[in-house]
Amino acid sequence: MIKKIGGFLWITLGLVAILLLTFACLGIPVFRSAGLIAQGSFGTWNDFTRTLVKTTPLLLTALGVLVAWRAGMYNIGGEGQFVIGGLSGAAVAQFAPGLPPSLMLGAILLATVLGGALYAGLAGWLHVKRGVQVVVSTILLNFIALEVLDWAVRGPLQEKKKQLPLTDLLAEGARLPRFSSQNDLHAGVIVAGLAVVIVGIVLFRTAWGYRVRLTGSNPGAAQAAGLRPGRIQVQAMMVSGALCGLAGGIEYTGMTAQIGTDLAQNWGFLAIPAALLGMLHPLGAGLASLYFGALFAGSKNLEAFTKAGSTIVFVVQAVAVLGFVWLSRWSEERALRREAEA
Amino acid sequence: MGLKDPLMVEGMTQRFGRLLALDNVSATFFPGEVHAVLGENGAGKSTLMNALAGFLRPEAGQVRMGDRGIELGSPLESQRAGIQMVHQHFMLVPQFSVDENLALAKLHSLAGGLRLAQLTRPVHELARQLKWDVSGPSRTGDLPVGVQQRIEILKALSEPSPILILDEPTAVLGPDEVQDLFRVLRTLKSEGRIVILIAHKLSEVLAIADRVTVLRHGRKVAETSIPETTADQLAQWMVGDVPTQLDWQPPEPGDVLIRARGLSVRDRSKVPQVDSVDLEVRRGEVLGIGGVDGNGQTELAEALAGLRPLAAGSLEVFSKKVAYIPQDRQSEGLAVEFSVLENLFISGHQQSEFRWGPFLRLGRARLWAQDMIQKYKIKCHSLDQSVRSLSGGNQQKVVLARSLDHQPDLLIAMNPTRGLDLHATSFVHDRLREAVQNGAGLILLSTDQDELAALATRTKFMSRGRLVADTLAEALRGDA
Repeated sequence: MIKKIGGFLWITLGLVAILLLTFACLGIPVFRSAGLIAQGSFGTWNDFTRTLVKTTPLLLTALGVLVAWRAGMYNIGGEGQFVIGGLSGAAVAQFAPGLPPSLMLGAILLATVLGGALYAGLAGWLHVKRGVQVVVSTILLNFIALEVLDWAVRGPLQEKKKQLPLTDLLAEGARLPRFSSQNDLHAGVIVAGLAVVIVGIVLFRTAWGYRVRLTGSNPGAAQAAGLRPGRIQVQAMMVSGALCGLAGGIEYTGMTAQIGTDLAQNWGFLAIPAALLGMLHPLGAGLASLYFGALFAGSKNLEAFTKAGSTIVFVVQAVAVLGFVWLSRWSEERALRREAEA
Repeated sequence: MGLKDPLMVEGMTQRFGRLLALDNVSATFFPGEVHAVLGENGAGKSTLMNALAGFLRPEAGQVRMGDRGIELGSPLESQRAGIQMVHQHFMLVPQFSVDENLALAKLHSLAGGLRLAQLTRPVHELARQLKWDVSGPSRTGDLPVGVQQRIEILKALSEPSPILILDEPTAVLGPDEVQDLFRVLRTLKSEGRIVILIAHKLSEVLAIADRVTVLRHGRKVAETSIPETTADQLAQWMVGDVPTQLDWQPPEPGDVLIRARGLSVRDRSKVPQVDSVDLEVRRGEVLGIGGVDGNGQTELAEALAGLRPLAAGSLEVFSKKVAYIPQDRQSEGLAVEFSVLENLFISGHQQSEFRWGPFLRLGRARLWAQDMIQKYKIKCHSLDQSVRSLSGGNQQKVVLARSLDHQPDLLIAMNPTRGLDLHATSFVHDRLREAVQNGAGLILLSTDQDELAALATRTKFMSRGRLVADTLAEALRGDA
């Protein structure tokens, strides 16, 4: 565990170095920019709440991604599951407006979880029953989800006046509680934090989590031991989709309170590098998501130097993942050599 | 095309780790003959041929044609000397058309355009002479294996190669296709070429070969002409002397643990792999199942372990605790990225002793795993060490510990000591015997004669999916 945390710290340092290099390459004053980003993301309590709020959807989808990947299911469909989750929640708000406010929030969140789980489960099922590669099916399901979103907010889920491609605003009571009127900090942040712990316990301390990891590591061994890898993989996909759907639901009930065509904001895609840089470990994914959340929150300050703004975050992510893939291969080889010598 | 001088192999020696794959092997291959190289799995046939074809450079030994030596260790050098090898596993690109595959061998230079028709015309000409036409534009992967084999051979023949090595070419062919292949081999022979045929089916060797070299455990045990020998003699050379007396006392057989009647299994492409197998195993028995690799053993083992659906027949399992030791520990027995603890835990994590509802009792598991390491003498410096870093013997001990620990009453083991040294082998055998002494039944599928002799209380041999032969010689003759 201590070794793991050390590894995460190294990765974080590497990420900072890459950020600085990116600034240098773009010809932006390196240290002043970094200072501005730090200030924008950690400077005051309110700045920090913005970091946390940006971290939340990224972290939940990253957790979703890592559960699936641990089972050997390369779920690229976080984006689609996020969208379908959010839409399922909006559908509850639209079609069951009579629910008492106290139940409404729970019902919406439950719907987002189920929507995401079923949508990802479909890809899992196609893989196990028909041999369709999850990478391919989830990418395609992303497109379908985005089109469905576009249709829904102009069709059945459109607001009452039928003017804008948006859903109706959620009633105050159906939104996630906020802690202060000064910032956007909402209870979903706590949900994301708890999810890190729960996913960690499930993966490393329960029989189901063990089976997921065994299946991902070697489905042949799982099968020879009498387990049913296909079933486990579908389950892992459903849990993965549930987390991504919940991320959509929390963004909906905690932040936007209505759904438009821009619901997903690429969180589902950004989650993949966050999960990878976190070494597919919940804690690592938490740190990586926090780092990128901070970059998003702080990059607004960069507009003084460059129009790039938050685009820089994408560049940093891409470079970081490439560097990480190279680094992890190198360190794996080194570890193997060491073990062999020992 | 005709050769004057024979191809002489002299003093070939090759070691793989501790295994002596070839031990001072010499042989002479004459022009105008089909020369079979016979031997069990692991006898050294393929190593010898790979050396000839330049795929490996042996530690010692040389190859000569007349007074001209052939430099070993380079496929190009061997090809220049006129040696072409047709591999057992096709080296064809399934997505390519037949012509594109045929042209592969010709594309030594990347310059200029790809003129398929021009490149492949001589090959098609040759195919017509052999009455062995193939359609150029067909997609290779869609063709029956027999035709793919044909393309592979034509590819080799398209070079003016006087020496052709075929590695078990009949393994995937039907009887008609085999006759067709033999006809072509006879034509090649009559042109004065040397045809070297790696084989293990005696009936085929007797039908096509002029001379034969028999290898066993890396040594040449015989080189003779076919008319001077018999199937029994060849089988005896291949197999050697097998001890008939068991050196341990199995208990009295008890209750029936598993019974199969008319059990048949098909593979994914619906090809039958196991054909109406009947068997029954009782407590205290070791049923040995021998035979040459690829005669349906894997499929039978998986069907018995409940991992494969039956195509026909019945399977009754009266045992509650079945343990399966798969053939390939890397791909089925272990999760190599997992730690020793996690690998030991593959079956243990399902036991109530290590569970608290959905949660795992990892503290208990560690104590138990420490115990396993002691008991099975697994050499590792930590429970958290990845199992990939263990030696093969210790990896197999992990599989064994895991399988035997919860005292299964039926064990299905496939080649449980393949690749292990003597010490680890005898350790594995002792543990298996111990389990049987304690009342378990064992089905041991093994290609190793000595292993079967050391453990099995009775032995049957598989041949083409059928479990009918009583001796390996019978299975090899394939007439059972």
